[in-house]
Amino acid sequence: MKLTLANIDGYRQELVTQRKELQSIMVCCGTGCRARNGLGVAEAMGEALEAAGLGDEVKVELTSTGCHGWCEQGPIVTIEPDGVFYTNVKPEHAGEIVAGFQSGHPVQKLLYRDLTTRERKVTYHEVPFYSHQTRWAMRNVGRISPTEIDHYIARDGYKALAKVLAGMSPAEVVDEVAKAGLRGRGGGGFDAGRKWRSAARASGSPKYIICNGDEGDPGAFMDRSIMEADPHGVLEGMIIGAYAIGATQGYIYVRQEYPLAVKHLEQAMADAREMGLLGEQILGSDFSFEIKIARGGGAFVCGESSALMRSIEGKVGEPRAKYVHAADKGLFDRPTVLNNVETFICVPLILDKGAEHFAATGTAGSKGTKAFSVVGKVNCNGLIEVPMGTTLRELIFDVAGGVPKGRTFKAVQTGGPSGGCLPESQLDLAVDFDTLADAGSMMGSGGLIVMDDRNCLVDVARYFVKFLVDESCGKCVPCREGLKQMLAILSRITQGEGRTEDLVAIDKLCDVLKDGSLCALGKSAANPVLSTLKYFRSEYEEHIRDGFCRAGVCGKLCSYHINEKCTGCAVCAKVCPVTCISGEKKELHVIDQGPCIQCGSCFDACRFDAIEIRSAP
Amino acid sequence: MSEIILNGRKVKVRKGEFLLAVARREGIEIPTLCQHDAVEPAGACRLCLVEVTRPEWEGWSKLVTSCLFPAEDGLIVSTDSAPVHKTRKGILELLMARSPNAVPVRELARQYGIEQCPYPVQHDGDNCILCDICTRVCQNLVTGAISRIDRGVGKRVATPFAEPSTDCVGCLACAKSCPTAAIPYEDEGLRRTIWGKTFEVASCAGCGAPTVTAEQAAWIEQSKGVSREDQLVCDRCKAQKTAAAYQKLAW
Amino acid sequence: MVSKLMHVTPSKCTVCRNCELACAFSHMHGGKPTAARIRAFADDQQREGHHAVVVCMQCEEAGCVKACPAHALWRNPETGAIYHVEARCIRCQSCVAGCPFGNMRWEAAMEFPTKCDLCDGDPVCVKFCPTGALEHR
Ligand SMILES: Cc1cc2nc3c(=O)[nH]c(=O)nc-3n(C[C@H](O)[C@H](O)[C@H](O)COP(=O)(O)O)c2cc1C
Ligand code: SF4
Ligand code: SF4
Ligand code: FES
Ligand code: FES
Repeated sequence: MKLTLANIDGYRQELVTQRKELQSIMVCCGTGCRARNGLGVAEAMGEALEAAGLGDEVKVELTSTGCHGWCEQGPIVTIEPDGVFYTNVKPEHAGEIVAGFQSGHPVQKLLYRDLTTRERKVTYHEVPFYSHQTRWAMRNVGRISPTEIDHYIARDGYKALAKVLAGMSPAEVVDEVAKAGLRGRGGGGFDAGRKWRSAARASGSPKYIICNGDEGDPGAFMDRSIMEADPHGVLEGMIIGAYAIGATQGYIYVRQEYPLAVKHLEQAMADAREMGLLGEQILGSDFSFEIKIARGGGAFVCGESSALMRSIEGKVGEPRAKYVHAADKGLFDRPTVLNNVETFICVPLILDKGAEHFAATGTAGSKGTKAFSVVGKVNCNGLIEVPMGTTLRELIFDVAGGVPKGRTFKAVQTGGPSGGCLPESQLDLAVDFDTLADAGSMMGSGGLIVMDDRNCLVDVARYFVKFLVDESCGKCVPCREGLKQMLAILSRITQGEGRTEDLVAIDKLCDVLKDGSLCALGKSAANPVLSTLKYFRSEYEEHIRDGFCRAGVCGKLCSYHINEKCTGCAVCAKVCPVTCISGEKKELHVIDQGPCIQCGSCFDACRFDAIEIRSAP
Repeated sequence: MSEIILNGRKVKVRKGEFLLAVARREGIEIPTLCQHDAVEPAGACRLCLVEVTRPEWEGWSKLVTSCLFPAEDGLIVSTDSAPVHKTRKGILELLMARSPNAVPVRELARQYGIEQCPYPVQHDGDNCILCDICTRVCQNLVTGAISRIDRGVGKRVATPFAEPSTDCVGCLACAKSCPTAAIPYEDEGLRRTIWGKTFEVASCAGCGAPTVTAEQAAWIEQSKGVSREDQLVCDRCKAQKTAAAYQKLAW
Repeated sequence: MVSKLMHVTPSKCTVCRNCELACAFSHMHGGKPTAARIRAFADDQQREGHHAVVVCMQCEEAGCVKACPAHALWRNPETGAIYHVEARCIRCQSCVAGCPFGNMRWEAAMEFPTKCDLCDGDPVCVKFCPTGALEHR
């Protein structure tokens, strides 16, 4: 059926009415849950439902969703509209779930157990990980089937598009986005309204609109989750953007490793085309727009805007020095707007609910919400979307459940590989684009890596520099040669061969990188080093001066010892991979320093604080 | 016509003209290692950095590569301010560590007062500084036989799969436009070897002197429409033929 | 505007080679006459009035310009001369191959081509030609 401006509201109304009586059993079949046999669960659920032979009086639908953003709890099964929330579901649980569904008594053992109270929570509304979130960009994530366009339409999908095409001029759309204060979610935090306005005014045709779904930051997966779970939301944002700037062709640049996102986007595009929401004369108006999918070039730097455009053009994905903006001369040297997935998916929301509604949430300089991918030493690893201005402490402790195993928080790395590490003292920072930059880090695309006292910050800096060395395109001298030297110095320090002059050389390298590099990768590559030097300088000094790595990570700079708190439980001896711990049961154990490889397994395993880290013998 | 202030002097510029060109016209030297007039600027070596500001920036300034930065009315440019000098020096130190034997690198390092490189120097380091001139020349002007392969520290210039390339016509333009003479080739008599491919240089139909390779002649004929026969005679013999024609005319 | 052209009258040439010397000196090739951009050819039988001098005619449809992939050969609209722009040259020798008259020379020592540029509109060779075999008009 072709939708038009005249019939879309009626169609939605009908869907809403139909779906009101419906109960949906939704199995997460996102990438993470698939890896844990989510598809097996979906199949088993189907069989169990069939076997249960539910009569006509219960209207139930079994569907699959995209990634909810909490894959470590997967496979996840939810039952809507109540929001019953099952975690770690296996195919053999299907019968019980259906039985619970029929009886109204949910399966206790599959419910999420609260970290502190140890209570079971029936619905996700009660789970702190979700209840503390404000999911705007992820409004449909996990709530709909990504391959059913009707699900999307029923949840106000394409309503904003209809509103725009029915009664707004392109300039009004740009104004609305500008008024909302939407800033790009992909890294730079550039004002989206301003970008759109320049492209709208630029002469040259055709104009292009590109969605950046390259998501190269290690550990980040919000764009994947959004594309997989709510592809229509991305399309709608792009179509509205195209209308606003006068683009006729769009591209979605999807990272090579995201086949499921591509599949869902392709299906969504086909369905949208079929229903007159994409292609010629959208919704019967005289506006036409097409979208193609471009697969990523496989390199981190391909996510950088100019490299990405070169890659779509079929050239080597290297950044191009640009003092002319893409809004004037972008893809194929035509006016182009490039925005991130999360940026685009905010657009329908802004147009539907109004700029004021969007701008009412957030801080003075950063409006709306932001999705973070929180990983590392926290109890809940996953996607967390909160209003701009939420503090790091709330994010890490309230939503993500804090640092596990009673260890101490040490640092949080924000902003992806070229972001910075912030210490405990910065935890009350109200997170937005500007506060993070002022603190020496950045928002980036929203990666948060939490570290505890078992992380060595020198080693962390080295890790990120190594990542950047591998990912630098190698075009410009400061980044290619500077990062190479930086890595050599940091490696030396972690190997116990650091010299006092090294810190001077590092400072110098940081300056050359910042001031000399061509693109933002090199310009920001100093951040992990600068921020760790700023907040954890003493650790560098300890490495160099005292030959000591307090975290017990740099093997040549530490040794593990057992003190008198030892109860002789022998747990350490069991976990030691080189079996160098000996001792009688219930007696003090000893580590043989010779074979010890300083892996720290014993330290992590000991429940009595009996293992100590000292400098190397 | 627009006007900029270049090192304190008012200078007229054409709109969109790059700062490097303006500076050179004004006799101001800016070091460059990846700039070549025959190809579009790349911004790879970063040595041509200059500091730019505008009155309305209220004291804020930034470093930009002059080979790529368009001269806009009202721009205030310093080509050798302290930050410029410092960054160039930092870059040259990095280049000295990589390619200590490359003549222009050494010469610039000397000019910038680098006595000792602060990083471990690769004494047998490759002269290639990845300025990208050769690949831009070959890809944009000749047949595209070479390109930069791999990324990051492993980046290098090579033919596809490092095999002798079918596209290479043996014109040596890459090697001869290389600022650091980093591309090895042999060119002896009628034999020429580059990028692992050996060519026979056509000998002049008149005197036997080397002219161009048959591959290059074919490429010029096909892409530029210049007949092959004319190409395979050396300039002296061609001139002699011209002379003979004149002599005939004279009678 | 029709620019002035080089005119050669072979019957007047005495192969004195003053033109070659003048050219070589004024273009700073160390005064090496073999590097001159103009060449005098003696008649093989040494017959007076049969000698000839060959120099670039700044052809309208020039083979060198056509062959050059780098747009390094460029006509000065004022003098009508085709200039070789060293900074643009990629030293591929295509121009040498492309000129059918032998007036594009390859300067092996410096690895780039040379050609007559009409000395920016006032050719030195003409001034040094004692017989008027060379004229610029
Ligand atoms: C090295 C590098 C990698 C980047 N990777 C991404 C990416 O994976 N996804 C993304 O959206 N933006 C990435 N960016 C930022 C883009 O260049 C660009 O600013 C952004 O996509 C613009 O969209 P926005 O304004 O909506 O944020 C990257 C930037 C750099 C310098
Ligand atoms: S800064 Fe790094 S990634 Fe960016 S252009 Fe330079 S080498 Fe490439
Ligand atoms: S040698 Fe120079 S002038 Fe001659 S064709 Fe090649 S680039 Fe052009
Ligand atoms: S894939 Fe199921 S929660 Fe991420
Ligand atoms: S000359 Fe401008 S960056 Fe190399």
